[in-house]
Amino acid sequence: MSSLNYEIFGNDLPYVQVTLAPSTEAMAEQGAMMYVDQHIVMSAVLGDGSASKFGVIGRFFNAIKRTFTGESMFSSVYTNTGFVPQNIAIAAPSPGQIVPIELEEQGGTIICQKGAYLAGEKGQKLQLAFQKRLRVGFFGGEGFIMQKISGRGTVFIHASGTLKQVALGPNDVLKVDAGCLVGMSSTVRYDIQYAGKLKTGIFGGEGMFYATVSGPGNVWMQSLPISRLSRAIVGSAVAGRSKGSVLGKLYLIGIVLFVIISLFIDK
Amino acid sequence: MLNHHADSIEVLLFGAGLPTAGITTRCYVKSEFIHVDFQQLKVAFSNIKATVGGFDHNQLQLHWQVGTQTYMLMPANTAAEKALHATLPVSSIIGLKSWKTNTKAQSMVWNTIVYGAGLIALLLVLFVWQYDNVMTWVASKISMETEKKIGDSVLKSLKLQGNLLEKGAAVDAVKKVGNQLTQGSRYHYQWFVVQDDAINAFAVPSGIIFVNSGLLKKADSANELAAVLAHEVQHVERRHTLKNMLNSAGVASVVLMVLGDANAVMLVIAQQVSTQYFSRQVEAEADLKGAELLNQKHIDASGMVSFFKKMDAAYKNKDDTPEWLSSHPETLARIKFAEHFVKSHPCKGCAPLTWDKAAILADLNTEEKNGKNKTNKKLED
Repeated sequence: MSSLNYEIFGNDLPYVQVTLAPSTEAMAEQGAMMYVDQHIVMSAVLGDGSASKFGVIGRFFNAIKRTFTGESMFSSVYTNTGFVPQNIAIAAPSPGQIVPIELEEQGGTIICQKGAYLAGEKGQKLQLAFQKRLRVGFFGGEGFIMQKISGRGTVFIHASGTLKQVALGPNDVLKVDAGCLVGMSSTVRYDIQYAGKLKTGIFGGEGMFYATVSGPGNVWMQSLPISRLSRAIVGSAVAGRSKGSVLGKLYLIGIVLFVIISLFIDK
Repeated sequence: MLNHHADSIEVLLFGAGLPTAGITTRCYVKSEFIHVDFQQLKVAFSNIKATVGGFDHNQLQLHWQVGTQTYMLMPANTAAEKALHATLPVSSIIGLKSWKTNTKAQSMVWNTIVYGAGLIALLLVLFVWQYDNVMTWVASKISMETEKKIGDSVLKSLKLQGNLLEKGAAVDAVKKVGNQLTQGSRYHYQWFVVQDDAINAFAVPSGIIFVNSGLLKKADSANELAAVLAHEVQHVERRHTLKNMLNSAGVASVVLMVLGDANAVMLVIAQQVSTQYFSRQVEAEADLKGAELLNQKHIDASGMVSFFKKMDAAYKNKDDTPEWLSSHPETLARIKFAEHFVKSHPCKGCAPLTWDKAAILADLNTEEKNGKNKTNKKLED
C-alpha cells in the first residue's frame, strides 16, 4: 500500500506530482521543484531532517557527509498547510526516468548510486554508504560512495536513461556493465568480475570488469549512464565546432605569434 | 510448539514464491538441522552452504536447494547474526569458516589503510616539525667525495666567467686570514677573489670561498675580513649549501607533485641554487658559530661589529639592498648580536691581524685594467 498519492508524468523528461493530504509533508532534494499549490509551505532542513544523538553538531556533520553522496547539504520539506489536498510537482534534473520504490517491499533499505535520490516521504533517512571492497570501489563503476536510503513509505529515485527493475532470487546472478547499476536492495551482493579474456577485456568495449549483482533482492539498472550521455554530447559538440576550423586555428596561432613577437619588439 | 522455542533466532527467508525482500521468521538449531518456523522447514547442515552477502559484504547468508529452487536464510540483525553464528558448528557447514575469514580480512584491509595513513600523517608532521634536524642529518650523510664534486663543478662554471682572481696580493691576503681560521679543519680550503663591486662573499661546498673585490675595498681592517670569512667558513663546516640544495630538491619535488610541471621545478632549482638563498636561521647560525670560531682562533671579533655597521650604512645610502644583505638577518639585529658577543667574550691577548691594504688595492686595480683591456681586445678582434 502506498501511503503517498502520486502520479508520474512524462517519459524521458519526467516529473512526479505528489498529492499531499492536509498537514502532511514530503521531502525532496533542493532545486527539484517544478510547481506547488497555494497552501504548500516550503522549508529547508539540514540534511534529511532526522535527529542525531550528537545534537546539532551531529546533524551538521551528517549534512556534510550527505554532500559526498551527490546531494546538497539541505533538503526541502513541503508541508500542506491548507484544509484540502494540495499538489507538489518535482521534476527530474536530467533526461531519464523517475522510479517510485516502496521501501517496505525492499526490506526497509536500498543502496543507490550517487545523486539518485529525488524525493520521498518525510522521515526517510539518506546516508552515505561506503563501499568497503577496494576492487569494487575502483572497478565497480559506482566509486566508493553510494547512497543508503532507509525508512518507510515511497521514495522516488531518478537516473538517466530508461530504468529497469530486476528481481533476483537467492543465488541469481546478473552481469551488469559497470556504471549501469542504479540501485539495489541491501541484501544484494555487489561485486566485480574480470571480463575473462584479455581480448574481450580490451576490445569488448565493456571494460576489463563487469559488475555482478547476486540475489536475493531487487536491482535497478539504467540504459544510459549520465557519464556516457555527456560524453556523447560533448563529443558531438566538439566535432561540430571543429568543422571548417582550419582557418580558425591559423588565426589563433597568428595571435600567439603576434603576442610573442610584440614581447621581443618591446625590448 | 516451534514458535515458542527458547533459543529461536529472528531471520529473513528468501526463495521462490516468497517476496524479493524476504519474509521475517524465526529459526532454531537442533542436532544437525536448522528448523525454520515458516512452513516448518527442516534443513540438514550438510545441505547448507554459507556465503558472504549484502552491500557491505558482511552478511551471513545460508543457502540450500530444494529440487531446482534455491532458498536462502539470513539473520535479521547483527545480534541475530552473532547468535546464529555461535550456535552453528563451523566444521559441518560448508563456507562458514571462510565467511568468518572473509569478513575479518575485509576489516583488516581497512584497518591497515586507516592506520597506515595515520602513520604516514604522523611521520609527515614529525618531518615538518623536525625539518631542520632531518636536513642536517641527511646533509651529514653526504660523503666528502660528493661534496668535492659539487664544489668543483661550481668552481669550474665560475672560472668560465673570467672574473676570478686565483693569485696576487688580494688573494694572498684572503688566504692568509683564511688559513689562520681554518687550521685543523677536515676540509681543504681554496680561496678566490671575484672582480665584482657588490659587497659580497660566498661559499661553495667542499671549502671553496669567494670574496668579492667590492668587499675587500670596503673592509678597513683584516679583522673585518676575518669576520666575513669566519661566517663563510661556518657555512662550509655546517654544510649549509648542501642543506640548501637538499631543501630546494625537496621543494621542487613537492612542486612537481602538486603542479606536475617539470619546467616550474627546474625554475625553482635554478633560482634557489644560483642565488644561494640561505634561510635566516642558517645565517644566524653562521654568525654565531663564526664569532665562536674567531674567538677560538684568538682573533678579535670586533671586526664583525664594525663591518656590520658598514653594511648597515651602505644599505641606508643605497635604495636597493646590497646583494649580501638580502637574504641575511636584519643588520641591526646582527650588530646587536655581535656587540653582545664581543662584550661577553673578551679577547685577551689578541693581536690585531695585519694586512697591506694598499698592495691589495693596487693589485685589484691592475687586475681590473687587465680585464678591461682583455674585453677591449676581444671586441677589436
